[in-house]
Amino acid sequence: MRWWQIRKRDADLERELRSDLELEEEEQRESGLSPQEARYAARRAFGNPTLIRERTRETWGWASLERLWQDLRYALRQLRGTPAFTVTAVLILALGIGAVTAVFSLIDAALLKMLPVKNPEQLVQFKNISPTFPINDAFSYPALGTMSQQSQVLAGVLGFRKLYNIDFEVDGQSGLAQGQLVSGTYFSVLGVKAIRGRTILPADESVAGPNPVAVIGYDYWRSRFGLDPGIVGKKILLNNAPFTIVGVTEPEFYGVQPGAKIDVSVPLTTMVLVNPGFAAAGTQYDVLKAPMRNWLYVMGRLQPGVSREKATASLQPVFTELKREAVASLAGEPVDSPALRQAVLDGRLQLDPASQGLATLREQFSKPLWVLMAVVALLLLITCANVANLQLARANAREREIAVRLAIGAGKFRLMRQLITESVLLGVIGGALGVALAYWGSGSLLALMAQGRSPVSLRVHPDLTVLAFALAVSLLTALVFGTIPAWRSTDVNPSHALAQNARSSTSPRQRHGLGKALVVLQVAVSLVLVVGAGLLTRSLSNLREYYPGFNRDNVLLFHVDPPIIGTKDVVPLYQQLLSRLREIPGVRSASLSVHEPLSTNVSDSSVKVQGPSARKGEDLAPVDIEPIGPDYFATMETPVVRGREFQVGDRAGAPEVAVVNQSMARHFFGDADPIGRFVSIPAYRGDTNWMQIVGEVRDVKVHDLRESPTLMLYVPMWQAPEGGATFEVRTAIDPANVQTGVLGAVKSIESRLPIYSVKSLDDQLDDSLVEERLVGSLSSTFGMLALLLTCIGLYGLMAYTVNRRTGEIGIRMALGAQRSRIARMILRETFVLVLCGLVIGVPAALLASRLIAAQLFGLKPGDPLTFLAACAVMAAVTITASYIPAHRAASVDPMRALRSE
Amino acid sequence: MSSMGKQAQQRMAVLQGTLDMLILRTLLYGPAHGHQIGKHIQRTTNDFLQMQHGSLYPALHRLERRGWVISKWETAPDRNREFKYYRLTKEGRKQLTVEESQWKRMAEAVARVMWPATPSTEES
Repeated sequence: MRWWQIRKRDADLERELRSDLELEEEEQRESGLSPQEARYAARRAFGNPTLIRERTRETWGWASLERLWQDLRYALRQLRGTPAFTVTAVLILALGIGAVTAVFSLIDAALLKMLPVKNPEQLVQFKNISPTFPINDAFSYPALGTMSQQSQVLAGVLGFRKLYNIDFEVDGQSGLAQGQLVSGTYFSVLGVKAIRGRTILPADESVAGPNPVAVIGYDYWRSRFGLDPGIVGKKILLNNAPFTIVGVTEPEFYGVQPGAKIDVSVPLTTMVLVNPGFAAAGTQYDVLKAPMRNWLYVMGRLQPGVSREKATASLQPVFTELKREAVASLAGEPVDSPALRQAVLDGRLQLDPASQGLATLREQFSKPLWVLMAVVALLLLITCANVANLQLARANAREREIAVRLAIGAGKFRLMRQLITESVLLGVIGGALGVALAYWGSGSLLALMAQGRSPVSLRVHPDLTVLAFALAVSLLTALVFGTIPAWRSTDVNPSHALAQNARSSTSPRQRHGLGKALVVLQVAVSLVLVVGAGLLTRSLSNLREYYPGFNRDNVLLFHVDPPIIGTKDVVPLYQQLLSRLREIPGVRSASLSVHEPLSTNVSDSSVKVQGPSARKGEDLAPVDIEPIGPDYFATMETPVVRGREFQVGDRAGAPEVAVVNQSMARHFFGDADPIGRFVSIPAYRGDTNWMQIVGEVRDVKVHDLRESPTLMLYVPMWQAPEGGATFEVRTAIDPANVQTGVLGAVKSIESRLPIYSVKSLDDQLDDSLVEERLVGSLSSTFGMLALLLTCIGLYGLMAYTVNRRTGEIGIRMALGAQRSRIARMILRETFVLVLCGLVIGVPAALLASRLIAAQLFGLKPGDPLTFLAACAVMAAVTITASYIPAHRAASVDPMRALRSE
Repeated sequence: MSSMGKQAQQRMAVLQGTLDMLILRTLLYGPAHGHQIGKHIQRTTNDFLQMQHGSLYPALHRLERRGWVISKWETAPDRNREFKYYRLTKEGRKQLTVEESQWKRMAEAVARVMWPATPSTEES
C-alpha cells in the first residue's frame, strides 16, 4: 500500500465513523432526547473516535511506519525550534563521523578492497620460504613456464615485473612513465579487458619480434594522449626501443599492486629492449633462460574448488624439481658453494592469498592506518559523550513539555522513541555532512600518503562500502548518545514535575551526575588522545633530529639514467658531470652513488672474505653493495674511521679496492683491523676478483631511520660501473638556490639526459618518514579536536550548572559569601571533574601507549615528560574553559536571583 | 487515561476470538453497516455483550483485509444517506463454519472441565 492509498483509506474510515455516529445521534433523538443530549449520548455510546481510528489503522499494518513518519516530522520541528543546539550538535557529529569515515575510506582503499579483476578471491601469490634467506617472492622465467603447466590445480599463472622510471617517447617528446613487463597470460588470467584495441596476448610473448607491442593504462591515455581515439597503432619509443600501442586497459585497473601506478605494460620478452643490461641475452645469465635468475613476481588463479593447501601440496614437488635444476646450473659459477646449494634446496613454495593484490602498500600503511582508526574511534566516543551532554541539558529544558505529554497519556516508550528518533535524525544529518567532510579530508590524507619515496596513487571515492559504513556509524552514534538521555528524560513523575517549579524538580542530583560522568569520560579519553599525539609527535621530531651518519643539511640530490638515451659507457659522462658540478658557485663538493641515500631499493649479495672469517657460514650473510664515486663520504660528511675513502685514482685498471662500514668490519673481522684484508662479491659482479679493503666508515642509515645497522660494502663506481646514478651535491647555501645552476650544468653537457627525483637530502629524509608524519600530524589534529570538544562539554555543563544554581548562589551571596569564593566554588567543581578524568585517563593512556610502542622512537611508551605535559595541558585548558561560567556565577546579582525564584 | 486504555485492551483480548465470529454470523442475514452490526449483537444478547466500538471497527477492517467481508458505500433504505455496508464473501461463509465448529468444541471442552458431574452421553 502506498501513502496516498493510506490517505484515501483514512478519509474513508473517517467518513464511515462519522456516518455511523450521526446515525446513533439521530436514533437517540428519535427516542426523545434533546439534540444536545442526543449528541452527548451518542458520543458516550461510541467512545473515543480518535482511539477507534488509531486502532483500526493498526489493523492495516502500516501504523508503525506512519508513526515513524509522524515522529520524524515532529523531530524536524523540534530541531528547527532550537537552531543553536541543532547546529552545534550536527557540527560536532559531522566532525566525529567525518573523521572516522575519512580514515575508513583510506583503510578500505589501501587495505580491504579487492583487486578490480574477475573473481579476485581465486588469486594466489607465489612465495619462496627458506630458513636461510629472507622471504623471497621472485621467481625465474623457466619456473614461470613450468608452473603454467600445472593446470590440474591452477587455472592460469601470470608473471610480471615493474619497470620503474622508463622513458616514454611519443612524437619526439620524451616523458617519464611507470611500466611493467607482463607475461602473455597476465591480462587473460586476471580477466582484465581493454576498452580500446586489445590487451597483451600469449602470442606477443613468444617472439620479441621486430615490432613489439605495448598496452597503456587509462589514466596515462588521458593525461598523455588526451583520450586520443587514434591511440591504437601509435608508434612509441620505450627507453629508445620502438613499440606499437595495441590497446588501453579498463579505467578501474591499476595493476595488481594497490597504490602503484602502471602507465604502460609490455611483454616480458622485451626486457632485452628496455633494459638490455639486465636481460643479459646470449650469456649464461640470460633472464629468459637462467634458472638462478629470480626476477618475476608470480601469481596464479586456483582451479574452482581447489584450496590453497591442496594447490601448495600439489605444486611442492614441481617446485623442488625446479630448485634442483637451479642448483645444477650453479656448477662452475664463482658463487657456487655447498652451503649455498643447501640453502637453495631448503626453499619451500608457499601460496599466499592475493585477492587484494601484492601486499606492499598494506605492509607499509596497515599499522599507521589502524592506529589512526583507533584514534578516530576515540574521537567519536568523545563526540558521542558531548552530544549526549547537549541532549541532557536540552532534556532538562524540555522537562515540562515531557511532563505534560506524560500527564495527558503519552506512553513512556512512545516518548522515548520520539526522543531517539530526534537523535537518529541528528545522527543522520551529521553523518551526511561528515561524509562530505570525509571526502574532502581523505583527498588531503592521500596527498600526504603520496609524498613517500615510492609513488602512491590510490583512488578514494565514496563508494557503497564507505557510505554503508558511514550510515552504520551514524546510527550507532545516534543510539549511543540518544538512548541514555531519552531514558533519563522520560523518567519523570509528571505530577511532581508539573506541581513544582521546573527549575528544581525531579532528581536533579541524579541527572546531574550523568552529565558529570560524561564530562569525566571526555576528559579521560581526551587525555589518551593527547598523550598519544604527544608521544607520536615527539617520536617524529626525535626521528628528524636523529643523526643518520651523514649531514642532512644543504645537499641536493638528483638521478640520471644515461642508458635510457643509449649511453653505453657511463663513466666518462659521470666524470665530466662531476667536474662541471664542482665549478658551480655555491657547490662545495659533489659525488655520486647508485642508490640515493635512504633508498627503498636494495642490492645485496653474499660476500667472500680471504682468510678466516668471523664464523663458519657467515659468508652467506647478505651484505648491501653500494658503488660510489670519489669523495662520497666527504660530500655526505660521514666520518671515515680508519684508512681512506675512494679517490679519483681508484679507476678501472687500478688495483681493486673496497670500503666497509663498522658493522661489516665487526661482523667479519671482529676487533681486528680490516684495512688490507681482501673480499670478493662473486654473486654481485660475476667474478672472483679480490678487492682490498682500504677504509672503514661509520655506520649510516641506508633504507630508513629505524633500521638496525646494515652490513655495507662500498665499491668504487669507476671500477664497477652501473647504469643510472644519483648525484649528491653538497652546497654552501640553501640547495634550492643552486638547483637551477646544477640542472643547467647537466643539460649543458648532455641535453637529452632526463633528470629525475630532484630534491634536497632533507626532503628525502622527510619523505622516508611519511607514515610517521601521517600518524603524527593526524593524531595531533585529532588530539586538538578532542581537547576542544571536551572544553565545549565542560563549558556547557558548568554554564548549565551555574544557570540552575542561580537561586542558590543568590542565597549564598545574600548570606555574605564573597564573589571570589563563589567563583572558586565553581572552579573547584571543575577541577574535581578534570582530576577524576585524569585519574581514569592516565592508566588508560599508559595502556594505549603500550599498543603504539612500535611506532615510537627515542622514548618509552610511558614517557613521564609527555604524560606530565599532557595532564598539565588538559588541566589548564579545561579550567580555562570553565572560567567564563565561574565568572558569571560570581557576578550573579543576589536581589534579582532571589526575586526570580 | 492509561489505565482506561489497559482495561479496553484486556476486554478486546477476551472478545477477539468470538467477535469475528459474531460479526460474520450477523452478516449472514444480509449486508449491514457498522452501527447496525453493533446494535444487532447488543440487542440479540439482551445487552449482555456491550459492543465496544473501539474493537468493532478494527475487527471489521481486519475481516475485510482477510477477504472474509467486502465493503461498499450504499444508501440506506430508511435514511437518505450513504453508509458503508459490509457483506459476507464466500470465504467469509467458510470461515464462519470453521469458527463455529471451533467455538462449539471449545465450549464443550470448557463445559466438561467446569461441570464434570454432568453425565455426558458422548463419553464412551
